[in-house]
Amino acid sequence: MKTCIACGMPMNDITEYAMNDSSKDYCVHCSRPDGSMQSFEEKRSSLTSFIIKTQGLDKNVALKMAEAMMKKLPAWSEHFA
Amino acid sequence: MSQTKRQEQKELTRQRIMNTAFRIYAVNGFSTPTNIIAQEAGVSHGAIFVHFPTKEVLQLHVLERFAKEVLKKLHGLSTTSEDISELLHAHINVLHKYEEFYKKMILEIASLPNEAREIIISLQSAMSWHFSTVIEQGQKAGLIKKIPLHMLFNTWIAILHYYLQNADLFAPGASVLDCCGDELINTFVTLISQ
Repeated sequence: MKTCIACGMPMNDITEYAMNDSSKDYCVHCSRPDGSMQSFEEKRSSLTSFIIKTQGLDKNVALKMAEAMMKKLPAWSEHFA
Repeated sequence: MSQTKRQEQKELTRQRIMNTAFRIYAVNGFSTPTNIIAQEAGVSHGAIFVHFPTKEVLQLHVLERFAKEVLKKLHGLSTTSEDISELLHAHINVLHKYEEFYKKMILEIASLPNEAREIIISLQSAMSWHFSTVIEQGQKAGLIKKIPLHMLFNTWIAILHYYLQNADLFAPGASVLDCCGDELINTFVTLISQ
């Protein structure tokens, strides 16, 4: 079992991999329609919106929380160096 | 002792310290001094600081490991739970395994390092993902009231945490999730249903 390098989600099932491709290191939620991985800005923006939508946090706080989650993930390490 | 053996031994000590800290935090809280943890783990006080430079670093490592375990268990809930009641039962079942630790974590959050709050939000985000998937299906089917997702999720968490934080009032000496979990779920589902 792999863990998505961009959001940390465990990928148990083939349908959880981007493009149903188990050789990919990122999940279906972190890929664009063409199968490529979302950019740092795209992921940060979608994660922030998701936190606001489901937990109602203040926009700036949600952004900080999104960055805190991303900081721990290998896909974004260079953005926090 | 070979280099590999020494590394294995070091990792075992590290795991033993973390396991002991997890167990003690669940019972006595996060303010438990490191010398007590060392004593319980059967290591010298200095050994703790070889692995964890400060008490706060140890707390965060234990919290991180706990969050990883819970995240693994929460994964896939919305694909296996078809309705909100089923999903909330699954949520409570996961928390039940860590009830004492989780309770201490939410009770003592203000005295923990700032990063602890981020860990809790990451846990809530995973749960809110499953929650929103099931709720949105229910809203589309006209079964659940059209209340904004964040208010529905926060209401569920508020009820759950209130009972956990005051467990001594609702279930002294017992598991509040065992005692009141069904009632919390049934009440919440009744409140949000059309």
